[in-house]
Amino acid sequence: MQQIAIGNQPAFAELYQRYKDRMFYYFYRMLGNSSEQASDFLQELFMKLIEKPESYNPKYPFQTWFYSIANNMCKNEYRRREIRQEYSSILPLEPQLDFIDEKSIEPEQIIEKIFDTLDELGTEHRSAFLLRYREGFSIKDVAEILGLPEGTVKSRLFYAKKTLAEKLSYLKDEIEF
Amino acid sequence: MAKKNSDQMFAQLLRNDSVGKPDRTIEDRLMYSYILKSGRSKVRQNSFASFFGWIFSGQGLGLKIATISLVVFFSVINTQNFFESGKISASDSIYSQRTLVADSAHFIQLVDSLRVDSLN
Repeated sequence: MQQIAIGNQPAFAELYQRYKDRMFYYFYRMLGNSSEQASDFLQELFMKLIEKPESYNPKYPFQTWFYSIANNMCKNEYRRREIRQEYSSILPLEPQLDFIDEKSIEPEQIIEKIFDTLDELGTEHRSAFLLRYREGFSIKDVAEILGLPEGTVKSRLFYAKKTLAEKLSYLKDEIEF
Repeated sequence: MAKKNSDQMFAQLLRNDSVGKPDRTIEDRLMYSYILKSGRSKVRQNSFASFFGWIFSGQGLGLKIATISLVVFFSVINTQNFFESGKISASDSIYSQRTLVADSAHFIQLVDSLRVDSLN
């Protein structure tokens, strides 16, 4: 980050290569599975880094700080959507997996089912779930990124898993919840 | 058959999940913006704007006051030492200042008269 602040272009390119796919995925899943919006948010996130590199405090891990900015951008977007009262229109399609033949379940279908369930639970559960299981952050780091106590993060993850266990009942024989 | 842990299963599923890659043009746009921004900051580094900004700001007030005090102090000391020994600063009618102006015509004439004198 110090190199980026003094105008080191290869350092910025390296940082972009390291985080672009992860951040794109995070925005994609957090903002209703829209590639265009995920791309816009990815660009905006890195623009913030370019415009104000001094806002990063080197005392804290860069990754945690970067994800907390991304999460705040998502929260602002949810607020905007609430104001526009468009939230219901950008929700993904109604879940249809309940009627899927157990033998034909593909990982992609399970993923879709997971995100449909997380959408029903709310954005707070979705962000905690993504950060924990996709990005592999510790409970402490997830709490720091979301600005929540660790206990709250744990309870959100527990509740999300509990709901998923109910929704993914056809996998109960294979998975220990 | 051994059951999978749900944490492991979710982690495995999500890490294998792919939603595509961001548009390549984003990288180009960001690189361009970054070059512009670093170019602007380099120009600012070479200018005096930040120095003048610092001078007229409230930052480092103690240092500024100390510097000004030193300048004032030394300028006062210097004015007190401005006198030449033996020089009468008072006005005196006996002393009349004569301004000597070099006159080349007069000098040439003087040299000519000297030459005439030496011939005689």
